[in-house]
Amino acid sequence: MSLILHRADAPILLAPAGDPTAAVAAFESGADAIYVGLKGWSRGGAKGELTSEELQEVLKTAHARSRRVRVALNTIPRRTQRRYLLGRVAELIGWGIDGVIVNDPGLLEELRARYPALCITASIGCAAMNEADVAFYRDLGADAVVLPGTLSLDELRAIAQVPDVMTEVMIHMVEEFILLGKCWMPSYYRLNPTPLAEVHGEGSRLVGSMKRGGAGVCFKVCEQPWGLYLDGQQVTKRLLPSRQISPINDLSDVLDAGVDVVKLQGRSLSPDLLAPLVRRYRAAIDAWMDTTPLPTFQEPSLEPSWTVARR
Amino acid sequence: MTRSFELNTTISNLRDLKASDLSPYDAIYLGNITCRLYEANLLEHLDDLREAIAAVKVQGKRAYVTSYAAPRNDFLPKLRKALAVAVEAGADAVEVHNLGVLKIVHETHPGLPVHIGGLANVYTDAGAEVLKRFGAMRITPNYELSLEEIGQIQRQVGLPMELLVHGKMPLGISDHCFLLDYEEAWGVKCPDLCQQDLFLKQGDWAMKSIGKGVLSGRDVCMLEHLPQLVAEGRDCFRIEAVSESPAYRLEVGRVYREALKQAVAGMNGMEEGWWNTLRNHARVGLCNGFYFGGSGMEYLGARRWAEASGPGRPGTDLLQLSQVKGVIR
Repeated sequence: MSLILHRADAPILLAPAGDPTAAVAAFESGADAIYVGLKGWSRGGAKGELTSEELQEVLKTAHARSRRVRVALNTIPRRTQRRYLLGRVAELIGWGIDGVIVNDPGLLEELRARYPALCITASIGCAAMNEADVAFYRDLGADAVVLPGTLSLDELRAIAQVPDVMTEVMIHMVEEFILLGKCWMPSYYRLNPTPLAEVHGEGSRLVGSMKRGGAGVCFKVCEQPWGLYLDGQQVTKRLLPSRQISPINDLSDVLDAGVDVVKLQGRSLSPDLLAPLVRRYRAAIDAWMDTTPLPTFQEPSLEPSWTVARR
Repeated sequence: MTRSFELNTTISNLRDLKASDLSPYDAIYLGNITCRLYEANLLEHLDDLREAIAAVKVQGKRAYVTSYAAPRNDFLPKLRKALAVAVEAGADAVEVHNLGVLKIVHETHPGLPVHIGGLANVYTDAGAEVLKRFGAMRITPNYELSLEEIGQIQRQVGLPMELLVHGKMPLGISDHCFLLDYEEAWGVKCPDLCQQDLFLKQGDWAMKSIGKGVLSGRDVCMLEHLPQLVAEGRDCFRIEAVSESPAYRLEVGRVYREALKQAVAGMNGMEEGWWNTLRNHARVGLCNGFYFGGSGMEYLGARRWAEASGPGRPGTDLLQLSQVKGVIR
């Protein structure tokens, strides 16, 4: 049976789950699928990753409800780690995973060659921003490419026209100053290789590297105040701009643009925070499906710390 | 037989090109990869780009045209035109930081040599193999890779690896320019805002702000390690001077040209004057980037003053702050 998850009639609501309890909350709140991190291998960082046992538990929970689980394997493994991971994916498929999320074009292509039926998503860490990016990852074998929720409707419409690949948009996310997938500020400051227990010998999580360690191990340097110096004099102290986005009231336009997968960021969310978020997006998608007016949602505490001025 | 090498650098606009003495260099990357509104960016001013390619080539040097690191859809039509100009004007290669752009180049100009830039995120031999099939002839691996990792990729893939040997290393790029917030307060408008002397500092470390991105505060410096690089077979070297003055470009370029000549000749001399030049141009000290497997702002080598002349060794403030719960991811 093909594991490839293409949009049939309805958009897919893809929720995060950082532990089995969150997975249950996501499904009970209306998620069609969840994505989880496997301990040691996810770009979202160590916090919110599942052990093998937890992953198997979550898979049983999901499949009992006819829901799906994608596994984030989107740190960038070195050569030795990649060999190990390629073999490990066979075990994950045996457990019944419904897809993987990866970050390196080489790994993506190798996975496609080795597992033709596996659903593969090009991670947000691939930093795809335009239709040519999406076509590139499709050519390597991606079934879906994750895009930031900051793209315009015109951009989403154009990208959704790229054939034979799903458009997945991280619509609820933190927009950081540095683009996702294009940041190595933290490792410039500090880099700590930390052994991965399951990969004997050469495996390590590079704490400090957004690309190879994950977001949870990046020291979050962008969330701390910086002095801005002009000609050697401090002129102000400020945060690097970032903001939470969650344009749920525009969701019908996003879906009209042809987006296949509505993704929510937040594997660190507790079940009590995750559930209302998922319910809100479920209601919005259902309203769009029923062609009924979208309910008006109160924006969930989304105070922008900056005004976006893109030129 | 003396081995050859290439020393190259980056220039964003025609004004800087005309003001720069290119004598230390074998090749020039033309254009600014971060911002379409960078002053007279060659990627947006195509008559200037044509003139720039001719001006570089008439000096007997190779002209490479770079391209945007994170182009959105509305960048692509102009970028296609810039690529066409690059071909017409005889550019020797294009540099690609975005894999969608790589696909465009591969399909529209299949014979055009492609150099993969440092922001394209080449981390693995498998990734490099993919890009080779899309026409990559040379790769600058992601700056986070060590020399050991770079060597492994080169051995597996068989493509030359270009190394940033001096200058401020890109640490990240943005879709937004926060300097626009200050247009009114400073009385300086875009595109002059990012031409100013701007640093971001936090505790004991610094980054140079270029508006839509940040560079390392310290200058990467591999001068005393050039013999090792040459011995390991590296032969493409870059001085990243995109945010620097023509004087920096010339004086630092001269130091490296001489040092590389000596290194390929098997000599290992280090002239004190070279260090004085580099020290004069380094605003907050020197570092080795990630080449030796540590954090990017460390400096290893005999010239310990290089690091000490900067803002000092990393402290613990940031780590303590990192324990605080951040935003929801």
